[in-house]
Amino acid sequence: MVRLDVRVLRTLALSLVAMLVLAACGPGTTSSPGGSGAGSPGASAGGSAAAGQTGGTIYLLTQADEFNRVDPQRAYTGEDLAFFGATIYRALVAYTVSSDDKAASVLVPDLATDTGTANADATSWEFTLRDGVTWQDGSDITCEDVKYGVSRTFANDVISEGPTYAIQYLDVPANPITDENDPKSVFLSAYYGPYDGTGQELFDKAVVCDGKTITFNLSGPHPDFNYTTTLGFSPVPKAADTGETYGIAKPPMSSGPYKVDSYTTGNGGKMILSRNEAWDQASDDYRTPYPDGWEVDFGLDPAVIDERLIASAGNDVTAIGRDGLQPQNLPTVFTDPKTPQAKFEGRAISGYDIYALYYWINVQKVPNVKHRQAMAVALDRDAIRKNGGGNFLGDFADGVIKPNIGPDYAESGMWTDMFGAAVPDTGDPELAKQLIADSGEPAPKLSFNFADTPTGNKNAAIVISSFAKAGITVTPAPLESGKYYSIVFDPEKAGDFGVGGWGADWPNASTVIPPLFTQIGGWDLSQVDDEALNAKIDAAVAETDRTAQNALWQALNKEAMENVYVIPTFFELTQFLGGTKINSDGLFLWGPYGSLSYGVLSVVK
Amino acid sequence: MFAYLVRRVLLMLMLLFLLSVSVFLLFAILPGDPARLTCGKACTPAIIESNRHRLGLDEPPLTQYVKFVSGIFVGRTFSADSPQPIKCDAPCLGYSFNRQEQVMSLIARSAPVTFFLAIGAFVIWIVVGLALGIFAALNRGRWGDRLIMGISLIGYSMPSFFLGLLLVFFVIIKWQFLPFPAYVAPWENPFQFFQTMLLPWILLATLYAAFYIRLTRNQVLEVLSDDYVRTARAKGLPERTVVVKHALRAGLTPIVTAAGLDLAGLLGGAIISENIFSLPGLGALAISSIIDSDLPLITGITILTAAIIIFANLVVDLLYAVVDPRVRVI
Amino acid sequence: MTATSEEPLSGMPIVGSADRPFLSVNDLHVTFPTEDGLVQAVDGVSLSVERGKTLAIVGESGSGKSVTAQAIMGLVNRKSATVTGEIWLDGQELINLPQREVQELMGMEIAMIFQDPMSSLHPFYRIGDQIVEAIRAHRSIGKAAARRETLEMLQHVGIPAAERRIDAYPHQLSGGMRQRVMIAMALINSPQLLIADEPTTALDVTVQAQILELIARLQGEFGTTVILITHDLGIVADVADDVAVMYGGRIVELASTTTLYDLPEMPYTLGLLSSVPRMDQKLPERLDPIRGNPPSPIRLPKGCVFQPRCDYWQRVPGEACLTVRPDLLESDPDHWVRCHLKVEERKQIARDVKQILAGGGE
Repeated sequence: MVRLDVRVLRTLALSLVAMLVLAACGPGTTSSPGGSGAGSPGASAGGSAAAGQTGGTIYLLTQADEFNRVDPQRAYTGEDLAFFGATIYRALVAYTVSSDDKAASVLVPDLATDTGTANADATSWEFTLRDGVTWQDGSDITCEDVKYGVSRTFANDVISEGPTYAIQYLDVPANPITDENDPKSVFLSAYYGPYDGTGQELFDKAVVCDGKTITFNLSGPHPDFNYTTTLGFSPVPKAADTGETYGIAKPPMSSGPYKVDSYTTGNGGKMILSRNEAWDQASDDYRTPYPDGWEVDFGLDPAVIDERLIASAGNDVTAIGRDGLQPQNLPTVFTDPKTPQAKFEGRAISGYDIYALYYWINVQKVPNVKHRQAMAVALDRDAIRKNGGGNFLGDFADGVIKPNIGPDYAESGMWTDMFGAAVPDTGDPELAKQLIADSGEPAPKLSFNFADTPTGNKNAAIVISSFAKAGITVTPAPLESGKYYSIVFDPEKAGDFGVGGWGADWPNASTVIPPLFTQIGGWDLSQVDDEALNAKIDAAVAETDRTAQNALWQALNKEAMENVYVIPTFFELTQFLGGTKINSDGLFLWGPYGSLSYGVLSVVK
Repeated sequence: MFAYLVRRVLLMLMLLFLLSVSVFLLFAILPGDPARLTCGKACTPAIIESNRHRLGLDEPPLTQYVKFVSGIFVGRTFSADSPQPIKCDAPCLGYSFNRQEQVMSLIARSAPVTFFLAIGAFVIWIVVGLALGIFAALNRGRWGDRLIMGISLIGYSMPSFFLGLLLVFFVIIKWQFLPFPAYVAPWENPFQFFQTMLLPWILLATLYAAFYIRLTRNQVLEVLSDDYVRTARAKGLPERTVVVKHALRAGLTPIVTAAGLDLAGLLGGAIISENIFSLPGLGALAISSIIDSDLPLITGITILTAAIIIFANLVVDLLYAVVDPRVRVI
Repeated sequence: MTATSEEPLSGMPIVGSADRPFLSVNDLHVTFPTEDGLVQAVDGVSLSVERGKTLAIVGESGSGKSVTAQAIMGLVNRKSATVTGEIWLDGQELINLPQREVQELMGMEIAMIFQDPMSSLHPFYRIGDQIVEAIRAHRSIGKAAARRETLEMLQHVGIPAAERRIDAYPHQLSGGMRQRVMIAMALINSPQLLIADEPTTALDVTVQAQILELIARLQGEFGTTVILITHDLGIVADVADDVAVMYGGRIVELASTTTLYDLPEMPYTLGLLSSVPRMDQKLPERLDPIRGNPPSPIRLPKGCVFQPRCDYWQRVPGEACLTVRPDLLESDPDHWVRCHLKVEERKQIARDVKQILAGGGE
């Protein structure tokens, strides 16, 4: 899962409880990115984006005090990755900038000449750097810079909180020191990173530079490893590295079309970006840097952000809210989640972020699949959505794979015919009773985990009453909202079912199905541990034919729903608003990160 | 007077000691593991332990406390045994691993903003509050009094965030009389400084002045009926002397005392104003430190702002003793 | 409310020499508007004092005695009260005098000392400075001279170590000392009229006599006219020349001190006197306080204001005490009484009561 900002996590802990419904609605509507319209071509790799005009400054208004991390090895929230990727950090490969989710999930080359070449069993990947790519000081971006950037991820004592896929996938042995009292046990692998230096020779074998060609030797087959390289594989010049403070103490070394002029945090804080004169469009087929500069304004009051954008006066005509609109302002801006008010046409967008929400069911404690199906069928998802604020919160979900992931999504049919009949959004207690009768066991008595908030408690009441109609008795087990996840992950303390949510790390269901439904994944709240399923999942992970893999993930998603490991509730929506002079052609929600389309944003003169 | 001073200073030092101990204890027993909080998704017990060691949280609370206090006087070094030790100069209030900066320098950066905000608002509210309060008291029951009391009631009962947003929406967004606040130090760009601070000052001053108008009016009315004011009149003093020298001197002393404490409270950060107007002051820093669970920063700010208030209390009490001779014998 | 006054101006009682009284008050009314209605605090008071003499105004709290004193002093707040009638001081009418001129008289011609010297002295200023301020408010003399004068006056009123005490704050002095300071401050400009409003009430019994003695001594020295306001008839006998007894905003009996003590005619005065332990009389075994409470100034009885507490009203034929306000009438020369009882009957009652008191309750 792309790591959530602490604040987002907190909000999510609340909203997770708020949302709890299933998707019977057709996927045709769900893939729309809102204001810009579904299926509009958007930008593609060649920068053939909509008619963007060059010039102007785009202001990003946010209530956050700072970027979570500016360091390319530590940035890990979707919004930060998308923004830095478009402006200051180039990577080997990148996702297509397109409003079409399927098109956007396609990798295109960035620093590399192509999207990488795997050996036959996908245990080794090779990328070649293109010519003419430079840092902001004019020096060349070398293979060694990429290798050094990757090596920083291994320095777990200094580079914390970033993605650790390099450690998981590269062929470097595990850290022999496991005694927790030994400070060296902090390192995840036998290579301790460039600062400590221990195990450098192991890393040098796993990552090999040969001229402009970099080779990654993996510990196993990873057909989508090139997707992995979008997370934490950006180059860093060794000479500029300041370790823990990289990107904060002084501006980071930019490889993109902009450079950081200044960065201050907190209320009144700003990051100001101007054009990087050393960047050469000829060396970059991916980016279309329209505005002359960017200014990120931190620490603003969320209500003030919304009002400024609604009024769109002065500099705010080219501003965009980076956090999404406040719920109370949604009716002002939108008539419904898909349609902006006429006044905001073209500058208000509504679409998916990366999160799918669900109720997990502990399959060890509720082993009877018919019982789990009865739970899914009985749940009044409509009432829960209304309680959570209505349809702005999201579309009814029909699985854990979200449409904006691209081709790995297909309708699961969960609410249309999976259980023998169409299930209304309000639930079908009769069908649920039938399923319980079919189970051959009496209706279960269950405990329900949720965050102890006003919305959470109301939702619990809805769950209890809708399950009661089907004869299922539910005991509420509220948990302090700040500690929710730390408790539900403890099998001793967790209840029989509860609220949860997950977002993909990159547009491949390999970042969704394995973490949710296998013991090694890290987010298996349902405690699924099925050998047959594990084998199928392993096969899907190892499948090198992407089209074949699409079908495998779709089938696995459907299988998980048939077994009701989770009751899918929402595909979460988010709404953004820009100023009147933001070019509507380049303004949409970009599927891979559920973020703003930073790569093609432009200003109307 | 000297004995009084010594006694009060000793009391203050004792309070500061108790305060720092209780803040320390409070954060020690609060739920939530600060070491865990510094650790992201890819977190292992080893990383948590490592962070705990870097934060110095693996030591007994007493040792932590002693190190904290000694850090204030002689400075200290965090992660001394790591390849990247962090030096924290005296007066060291701790090191924010979250922000990778010394707590003291974070506070030093925010404190001037809050200081200017508080002082400016203080001047406005004291002048307005006292002037209107005295005017209302001297014209008790007439329309001027009623008007002032009515307006102050509105100001008094208006939630600050609402009034603040009203100011932003109308003055900045709708009418565009002022640009959106962007704080600069007064010596860098005095004009922009005043443009930025004007609305926050008005907001804070309105809220406080509304209260001080009422307080002043009541206080003055009470004093005007005091016996010594009657004595002053009986001496045949001009009404002006009676009001200013005899009534106000005694009547306003407790008000100025209260104002001193309110000012001290504001110096600890005006959270709502700072947030609405995006001022990078102590209040905003405190709030974000709490949101980030940035324990060293929370501890530092708590102790510092409490120390400000305790110190202000002392100053106010000493001033009171200078003004009111009766206090000195206590 | 002047309409309710039954006093014909011609019937105005004059104590002492009728032709040229130093101070004379004619038909004084003071009315306060309150939320419950108009309060007639002083309702048609007329009196006069000869130069150098002492008039005691006696009454319970709420009788209007203090308001009368403050009205004479000019201290009644004209914003919150209505004052009508005439106050003549040494040939000058005060009520209609402009505020500026009243200020000039206050502290200079008329001075006042108050009940509680602690609260009446400003807590923040040194006592010497407060007296100097009183001097310099009226006379343009230098600070040093004013201070010398102050010191002399402090010594004169019997403050020991005055050169040290002059720089003391009020809270550093004892109650008696503070009242001496008040007296010094009142007399510093040699006023012709001194109004002492309950000057001993807040003091210890032992100090009371000293303060009264001091006032009497200074009166002799300065030739000051004194109005002594008190609720305590006991302290009046030795200092006052004349006594006015007030009840419910009106004077109910007015006579020379000797006459009043000898043969009080108004039952209220009688009650006051019989509740006073006197040095020259054997202490009665049973004090005889006046039963009941003073009337509410807002709802005064229709007839005699004292009727509800009077033991003798039934001796008056008919319902006069219940329905008709008695007038203040001269029963003997210079002895004015407000009572429906016949003069002879009143005198008899007084004699009987005195008999009982003297006989120790037989």
